[in-house]
Amino acid sequence: MFELFSDIFTYRENALTRIDPRVTLAIALGALAAVVTSEGVVLPLAALALCLGGAAALRIPLRLAALRLAAPLAIVAVLIVLKGFLTGQTPLFAFTIGTWTFTAKAEGFREGGLLGARVLGALAVVFFLSVVTPAHRIFQALRRFGLSRDWLEIAILMYRYIFVLMDRAAALAAAQRLRLGYGTPRRALASSATLAGATILRSIDQAGQTHAAMRLRGYRGAMPFGPLPALQRRDRWILILALGLISAARLAEWGAGR
Amino acid sequence: MRELDVTNVRFAYEDGTEALRGVDFHCENGEFIAVLGSNGSGKTTLIHLIVGLLKAKSGEIRIGGRRIEDLSAEELTQRVGLVFQNPGDQLFAATVGEDCAFGPRNLSLPEEEVQRRVSEALSAVQALQLRDRAIHHLSFGEQKRVSLAGVMAMRPSVLILDEPTAGLDPAGEAQMLHLLKRLNRDEGMAVVLATHSVDMLPLFADRIYVLDGGRVLQAGPSEEIFCQQEMIVRAKLRLPYVSRLMYEMKRHDGVPIDGLPLTIGEARAQLLELIPKEMLGAENGGKR
Repeated sequence: MFELFSDIFTYRENALTRIDPRVTLAIALGALAAVVTSEGVVLPLAALALCLGGAAALRIPLRLAALRLAAPLAIVAVLIVLKGFLTGQTPLFAFTIGTWTFTAKAEGFREGGLLGARVLGALAVVFFLSVVTPAHRIFQALRRFGLSRDWLEIAILMYRYIFVLMDRAAALAAAQRLRLGYGTPRRALASSATLAGATILRSIDQAGQTHAAMRLRGYRGAMPFGPLPALQRRDRWILILALGLISAARLAEWGAGR
Repeated sequence: MRELDVTNVRFAYEDGTEALRGVDFHCENGEFIAVLGSNGSGKTTLIHLIVGLLKAKSGEIRIGGRRIEDLSAEELTQRVGLVFQNPGDQLFAATVGEDCAFGPRNLSLPEEEVQRRVSEALSAVQALQLRDRAIHHLSFGEQKRVSLAGVMAMRPSVLILDEPTAGLDPAGEAQMLHLLKRLNRDEGMAVVLATHSVDMLPLFADRIYVLDGGRVLQAGPSEEIFCQQEMIVRAKLRLPYVSRLMYEMKRHDGVPIDGLPLTIGEARAQLLELIPKEMLGAENGGKR
């Protein structure tokens, strides 16, 4: 659970973590646009390979990538199966379960494959962004991209309190486990429900305390933000080069498809 | 001049629990005050009233000579700052630097001034090296220091701390109290701390208020407070361990001790007076 949310790698010193967050965010958005509008599977899969390769080069455990991509991967699998069996004309194969006959179709699998590749490519881009840029720097950059201050404020508080509540939930779960709260499936279910309830109550209590602390430091309904530093020349070049490469790749794919 | 003046304050929670029953309390400029009391004695309620989080049912609270009701929120936050018991309640930004800058930015100060205050506050709590760290990567002791810096960046004239040593190891407890004493001495900041940890207070506090059941049982310098063993027991507190030892030696063994030493230094000096010089170790040459 903690690994899933861990941002420890973003605080490592390397060439990518030193890039201005506005630049990394712009490049990530460019890559996302190219991946989700792609007409074939090559570009999204190339993005996936590049991001996973980049993560491996930064010595980020691929187990972490697998953990973060596991849930979307399951969705992609369901998507491909649904598309493959429910849309298209050309039959590929068929099988029968009881009185039901299922026929897989070529067009459906192609469409499902493309959607799946886009989803995986896009998520790999987001994953890579999340391991080279700390969340608070992404929030800083989002200000530049015109995200509403209210949303940003909520995002910052959510990001901070995910860790506080996770610590709290972990301590409660450990206390339950030590008193055999997870001994049988029935008890585990009851303990999980209690844990969820206690965490919600704790979050409400926490919200009250935090609001009081914010008020005592002058909060009157809007979180103040500091100015952003000027973009460095090196970062500008990185941005131009990366967006140029992404555009070239997208155009090449478009040209190849015609 | 009195920075804080609380007169005959009463407060009851919505369920009818009377938390404060006519409390009088004051704090002079640059004083170091401890509010001692067991759980439920009314310490937290009192400090929440002083910072304006709760409103008194009756009585009067004056800050810097002005009634709390007459102060704007901005004025109040620059006069009194509260450091919460649990730093998790108070640290809400993503990084240490951003959290410390929260208050000064709310005061609409220019960014250079904000950054100067952040640097000064972090330096004062010896946490400047943590400036770019994420809050959730800090240890508990570091979180305590950073939450103190966040309040100090508001430059309040009175710093109020709710159980500042709770959850800290003995070394962390001593470090925190020394830090507070240094801030009190060097920055001239009045410090009010609510606590039930008695062992180190005689070293730091100028005056102590003992609270029990929403009333002030006694107020005065530590030597006055801790010589009243019965009152301390009534408040469900205890003497500092060193004082307890000396008290028991005096009471049960008839050891002739003047008054009641409150610190190890005082106890050592008194015991050395009673031990014949020739019995002291040869290596220190019987030095006292």
